[in-house]
Amino acid sequence: MRLLFLMMLTAASLHAQGLNPQKLLTPPVDTWPTYNGDYSGRRYSSLDLINQSNVHGLTLAWAFQTHSVSVKSTPLEVNGVLYFSVPDHVWAIDATTGRQVWHFSRPSQGDHLGSRGLGMYKDRLFFGTADAHVICLDARNGKQLWDTVIADVTVGYYVSVAPLVVGDQVIVGTSGDSADVPHFLLALDPSTGKVNWRWDAVPKPGEPGSETWPDADSMSHGGGSIWGAPTYDPELKLIYLGTGNPHPILAGGIRKGDNLFTCSIVAIHADTGNLAWYFQPSPHDTHDWDAIETPVLVDGDFHGAKRKMLLQASRNGYFFVLDRETGKDLLTAPFVETDWASRIDELGRPVPAAEKEPQPDGVLVRANMDGATNWMAPSFDPETRLFYVNTQTASSLWYLVLNDDHKPDGHQGGTLSDFWSSSQLKALDYETGKTVWQRDLGKGHSFTGVLTTAGGLLFSGDTSGNVFALDPANGNTLWHIYAGGTLNSSPMTYQIDGRQYLITPIDSVIYAWTVPAALPQGR
Amino acid sequence: MLYLGVRPTPAQNTDWQRAVSWMGKNPLEQENAKRGAAIFQQSCAYCHGKNADGGSEAPNLIRSLLVRHDKGGDLIGPVIQEGRPDRGMPAIRLPADQAADVVVYLHALLSISDSAGDSGPSSSYSLKLLLTGNAEQGKAFFNGKGGCAGCHSAQGDLAHIAARYPPINLQARFLYPVGAPSVATITLPSGATVVGDLVHLDAFAVSIIGPDGWYRSWPVDKVKVAIKDPLEKHHDLITQYSNADLHNVFAYLESLQ
Repeated sequence: MRLLFLMMLTAASLHAQGLNPQKLLTPPVDTWPTYNGDYSGRRYSSLDLINQSNVHGLTLAWAFQTHSVSVKSTPLEVNGVLYFSVPDHVWAIDATTGRQVWHFSRPSQGDHLGSRGLGMYKDRLFFGTADAHVICLDARNGKQLWDTVIADVTVGYYVSVAPLVVGDQVIVGTSGDSADVPHFLLALDPSTGKVNWRWDAVPKPGEPGSETWPDADSMSHGGGSIWGAPTYDPELKLIYLGTGNPHPILAGGIRKGDNLFTCSIVAIHADTGNLAWYFQPSPHDTHDWDAIETPVLVDGDFHGAKRKMLLQASRNGYFFVLDRETGKDLLTAPFVETDWASRIDELGRPVPAAEKEPQPDGVLVRANMDGATNWMAPSFDPETRLFYVNTQTASSLWYLVLNDDHKPDGHQGGTLSDFWSSSQLKALDYETGKTVWQRDLGKGHSFTGVLTTAGGLLFSGDTSGNVFALDPANGNTLWHIYAGGTLNSSPMTYQIDGRQYLITPIDSVIYAWTVPAALPQGR
Repeated sequence: MLYLGVRPTPAQNTDWQRAVSWMGKNPLEQENAKRGAAIFQQSCAYCHGKNADGGSEAPNLIRSLLVRHDKGGDLIGPVIQEGRPDRGMPAIRLPADQAADVVVYLHALLSISDSAGDSGPSSSYSLKLLLTGNAEQGKAFFNGKGGCAGCHSAQGDLAHIAARYPPINLQARFLYPVGAPSVATITLPSGATVVGDLVHLDAFAVSIIGPDGWYRSWPVDKVKVAIKDPLEKHHDLITQYSNADLHNVFAYLESLQ
């Protein structure tokens, strides 16, 4: 009897340590339960204990050395524990002390380019692997509960996206460029790993979208990888995500047409996996400009009308505002100087200029392969009503490479000489796409994301490895530090026991920053 | 000089490392892969294409699931020896050692194909493909609106330039050369100035190598910083070239043998 009582007590207390599903439906405060903190993808925290009046005193709370590769994931924070990943590894660490709770290690074959984080359902974590498995871990101890193979690693599939939990489903997509494979999105049962539904990013012959490909063969090798974290509207029950480039990457000649649904923003019905609508930022892409950047969900005014909007600063250099109920384009505006598009069509899509497609003798384009922005998180601050994004301007020379049979050479189908680039953090007015302020981030580029908070702060970093807090109204520096590496991820924040923490992965080390107790907390 | 120029950014480092790891090993250079390539050309290429990427009757072997799931010939070997009569492939009946070489060659092709990245064109890129411009018009651009003749001369620093670089490198190098350090002039609070090669500049700190060879740095809010980038005109030009301009200039430079 006593044993039963103890077991009941243990079960109750363990349940209390798991993720309350309601937390997924509210803005992040004491919990950061998804890659982006909440379903909106705004990367805005309502915490304000660290604010403009005390951020100058921000100092190191702790550091956690992973002794691994650069951390690209954004940690989850649930009930005082941080959960994050790199390829082959998952850690749980104490969010107040930085001490390890557990470490899961699983060497694998496959592409180890990156693991962008985890999903969580109650007391379970979900981890996508370099060999295209999804693994479920017990959040208490890191023990494996199930392992589902979702794709074939021998043809280059892997999983880098952070799984997103929607209701009783784990949403996850496939990555992989190396063998001209078509990509897909799955909804898995969190209890068993069984597939509930599947959405294919490239249609099969006869299906809608197939008319945008020349034949069945090009479709069956079409690409459209899914490696950017989706967002979700619980009212509309729609999952939003962007898809990657078509294949071969730079050689468009053998895949004439728009190549749907590559380089597209799509809305998927969460219950069925059916496509609700699509919008294609880069029809017939020949520059590797995946449209996987965060589809940020914002409710508010658009030129006087209340709208449910989707905002994306896309890798192709254009900022899009869509009506997220219908997919209709409300605004298309370039956010960097680029020259690959000849015009904007009646649907709001930039139309590729034929003379800017890669050619054997080299074509000069005002952009490089990494694009005007990339997977690093942007942020929308509801107080300033500005959209913040790390941008890059560049010039490079693009070559179409055909083999001696005049066929595209491999899955790349080309290459480029990358000459020069520089980065700027830009604050965009979402109603016009115009830059309200910008700040130079230095030569080259980084994969540094942005976080805004109710403390009147914007956290991000530059290409030299400086991490800083800025005034989101004007970009002025309020705090900065060089922490010996690069922020190759996106900052996040949480509050425990009356203290707010800022987390910045710097290369292989997780740094936690806070304001000392001696300094005033709160405004 | 200890410092050859501005320190590469972390992003540039990554690209550089990727390029080195790619160039460091070529599985097609293994002896058995080379033998396998010769046998493939003789016995397989007629149907599967000389690059193993398929023909009108036979599949692309780079994308083939059977090839990708093969381990040491366990799947490919029987297909070579027995053919696939149901799909119209005859038995090739190679001696076992030759079939093994073909297997190694196919795996090497997969490895090359899968690891091909965006590390830039090969230095052996064909001049014939690049040479689409008009050298006379390139010369006119060089001496006229391009302003190149303000710093360079075909008889001086650019004499025999085409003999000094592979064509693909010459094309990249005239568009955007690398390696020349920017010169920084630092004005101290006292009014004194220090001039040196720029090592690093960001929003918070500047550092140089002074004429005495010593490293020095300052917070940027305590000094005035003026930068002279010797590549400034190349930087400006790169946004002004038409595609024809750049190929014409390349044709002109390539004529300086």
